[in-house]
Amino acid sequence: MTWLNAILQGLLLGGFYALFACGLSLLFGVMGIINLAHGDFAVIAGYVAVVLVPSTGLPMVLGFLVVVPIFALGGYILQRTLFQSALRRGDPMTILLVTFGLSVITENALLQAFSANGQSLNIGSLIADSINPNRVVSISDISLVVLGVAVVLLAGLQLLLSRTSIGRMIRAVADDREAAELVGIDHRHVFGIAAAIALATVALAGLASGMITEFAPSSGTANLLFAFEAVVIGGIGSLWGTLAGGMVLGVAQQIGAQINPSYQILAGHVVFLAVLAVRSRGLFAVREAA
Amino acid sequence: MAALLELAHLSKRFGGVVVADDLSLSVDAGAAVGLVGPNGAGKTSLFSMISGDLRPDRGTVRFDGTTLNRLGVAARCRLGVARTFQVPRPFEQMTVFENVLVAAQQGARARGAASHRAALASLERCGLAPLANRRAGSLGLLDRKRLELARALASGPRLLLLDEVAGGLTEPEVQVLVGVVASIQAEGTAVVWIEHVVRALVGAVERLLCLAGGAFIADGQPEAVLADPVVREVYLGSELAIEGAR
Repeated sequence: MTWLNAILQGLLLGGFYALFACGLSLLFGVMGIINLAHGDFAVIAGYVAVVLVPSTGLPMVLGFLVVVPIFALGGYILQRTLFQSALRRGDPMTILLVTFGLSVITENALLQAFSANGQSLNIGSLIADSINPNRVVSISDISLVVLGVAVVLLAGLQLLLSRTSIGRMIRAVADDREAAELVGIDHRHVFGIAAAIALATVALAGLASGMITEFAPSSGTANLLFAFEAVVIGGIGSLWGTLAGGMVLGVAQQIGAQINPSYQILAGHVVFLAVLAVRSRGLFAVREAA
Repeated sequence: MAALLELAHLSKRFGGVVVADDLSLSVDAGAAVGLVGPNGAGKTSLFSMISGDLRPDRGTVRFDGTTLNRLGVAARCRLGVARTFQVPRPFEQMTVFENVLVAAQQGARARGAASHRAALASLERCGLAPLANRRAGSLGLLDRKRLELARALASGPRLLLLDEVAGGLTEPEVQVLVGVVASIQAEGTAVVWIEHVVRALVGAVERLLCLAGGAFIADGQPEAVLADPVVREVYLGSELAIEGAR
């Protein structure tokens, strides 16, 4: 039964990782950008919530109503200014270095402003509520909510991409930027939209992490690593693959922790490396028909 | 009538290679103009400067009274300049229908049901309606060329720049495409058409230009241009001999 619990906890954790990973996956899929500051953006979202939400009078659990719009707007602006000017140089290394620099700056600025201490988002007694079908299995409500949010978000993104005119623009630009321009699509605007979506999702992830565990200025790197592993395990370009990848990673970590608590992170990395070695396209990659 | 497209003193060079040397040209609304010339003459570069993919070193591009020089490719498309690529570049992961729908919605600014009708209409004209739900990446060359044309058409052009739509196709296939282009032009869309397959052009255009070394060396009735000794010298001599031997 303890093993079953480990698997359940791993699946729940997978939803959390998928929340982190889908924005990373979207930016890579549409623009070919690997955003090394992705995890740090989640941390910023946590601090923005700490600073802004109390003054609005909203309960912390509704903090996303404040933080997500700010991040969506910020994502669009960031893309149209800094990222776009880096992309214009044409060298993929430039944008990678820009996001790396952004990550370093963010971490140090947060250290200056908030110290290295961990913080969490206080959601009151919600954090303790859980479903306990028996003495061993315990499913925390908030983790279940996060998994639910991840599933709804991925389904929404999938619908957006496949059914709406904005989604078709995004897919057209991802497919062939120049041909998209020729049918009247301003690719810079589409990049901005993609970045807005990516930052809105990573803001949600940052808030979730603040509610479930805690965050500190240096948390970004671990966030990025887990998100990256989820994307690679799942297969780049597949949204549901990202959820599945997150779950594989989560289950591996929880089973590792069950064997020995110090194996938690290691087990995740081992599974990640095993997937890379055996099936480098990812477990659930969309097959490209010839 | 004012010209739809006006090029004035366009110049462009890549290092030592001159692709446009003080080119001036005007094309009337609804005209059908053919463009021939040897490889490397600057034909595709000329299209790129009109569509916005390439910035000229000097000179202006005017379309319907608007100077295009500072506008991007997408903005020019929305004004009514459409272009096909020599090697078709469909959005491979999207369906044939989605390929033209995105052009109707973004290029022609159509919305809702109107955009679906416009997309379907352009597929039907190009004979692609039966393949509407196929993934574009799975199409063969003829259908890719048709899709390239259908997508350009769906963006609502007043000027259509065709870059070798007939290249690599068999004679009957070329005839089908020539028919489609002729019907587009008959409805008032100006067409400028680069083609290596000269026989495809002769029946379809009323004016033929020959470009060599970045300059127009002939401009006039197709038969007159093809008979011009200068044109035959720089470009057609060898090819006509090949055609004659068939």
